Amino acid sequence: MSRSITLGHYLPGSSLLHRLDARFKLLSLLIFIMALFWLKTGGGMAAALLLLILLLAVARVPFRYLLRGLRPVMYIVLFTLLIYFFFTKGGVVLLRLGPVTVEQAGVSQGLFVVARLIGLVMATLLVTLTTTPLSLTHGLEFFLKPFQLVRLPVSEIAMIMTIALRFVPTLMEESQRLMRAQISRGADFESGNLWRKARNLIPLIVPLFVSAFRRADELALAMEARGYRLGARRTRLHESKASFRDWVVLLFSIAILVVIIVARI
Amino acid sequence: MNNAGMLNYWIKAAMIGAIYAVLTISLAPISYGVIQVRVAEALTVLPYFSPAAIPGLFVGCVIANIFGGNGLLDIIFGSLATLAAALAVSRINNKYLAPLPPVVINALVVGLILHYILGFPAHLTILWVGAGQVLACYGLGLPLLLFLEKRRHLLR
Repeated sequence: MSRSITLGHYLPGSSLLHRLDARFKLLSLLIFIMALFWLKTGGGMAAALLLLILLLAVARVPFRYLLRGLRPVMYIVLFTLLIYFFFTKGGVVLLRLGPVTVEQAGVSQGLFVVARLIGLVMATLLVTLTTTPLSLTHGLEFFLKPFQLVRLPVSEIAMIMTIALRFVPTLMEESQRLMRAQISRGADFESGNLWRKARNLIPLIVPLFVSAFRRADELALAMEARGYRLGARRTRLHESKASFRDWVVLLFSIAILVVIIVARI
Repeated sequence: MNNAGMLNYWIKAAMIGAIYAVLTISLAPISYGVIQVRVAEALTVLPYFSPAAIPGLFVGCVIANIFGGNGLLDIIFGSLATLAAALAVSRINNKYLAPLPPVVINALVVGLILHYILGFPAHLTILWVGAGQVLACYGLGLPLLLFLEKRRHLLR
């Protein structure tokens, strides 16, 4: 369990991408993803992936971070390739294993779909690697603002997102403490298949809630005592202001989308 | 409710979100992907007990999906699916039906996203996601619900 506590993907740095405003990064990401879905040709997809690799280099992201970030989708990638290779037919037969064939259409379509998936993940990684979870939250809050009109409690949601983020490492540690406490009393988290292991976690969830809710009571009391009022207008220590380069990046991603749509790449 | 009460409600929601994220992230290999059994989805039965779980699960899902690295579509639509499911669960009074909305809604939404991204037939991706959700919500969520039902005071 402890191996996987690398909280989030954020990689501290001072590159151009790190310094961009989170709101602009999120919006540019959204536009870039739309562009990925608009791409029709393999060449265009390759160019998009190259651009992403270039941007990751600009952000000074070590190669192993990229690999680690892509690891979760590797199974889907392999699985998708297998399905496409063996079940999509058309074009030249590239490989024949008895009655099973791998044909050109399957390979090209499979590679295209997988490249798009990897592009999606890389583009998102690019943002999550260069933006602190806290600024991401502020960015999301900005885009949720319009929903205040339909009485969505946006500032409250942003507030609990910040608090939840802050408590993830704490509760991660807590869950391990609870695990060790239960193991010392004879509980078994190690043996059995994945399913058994998952079911054995239920007795762990309950004490985790009890301790988390105790912390919640204390935190709510502390906030109340310091005069935190729900619904009051809040100010920030660091106000984010859009700069010239933020607009340049945004316009650049819009330009990419327009080129892809117009030129049918 | 007064300020203190509401504040307590929201902070509890934050903690539920944090627990959802912790469970998903610490069991990462099986939490994301086509054949996903997300243990944290068992928590989707919580709105049956406490309305604080509705925003809590939504926030937890956003955080888990940001760390998960399946891309922005998953962050947006996956989390909205969880929110919709949580709202539905909070309106259900039958404990055996409570784990149903997260199964149906997630299978449809996440299944369609996968269909769109991977190009597989929609009924297959929906069935896949649905199967994983049945395991998580009925296999783990329902026992959790029955377990918590006798210990409701713990969730106060």
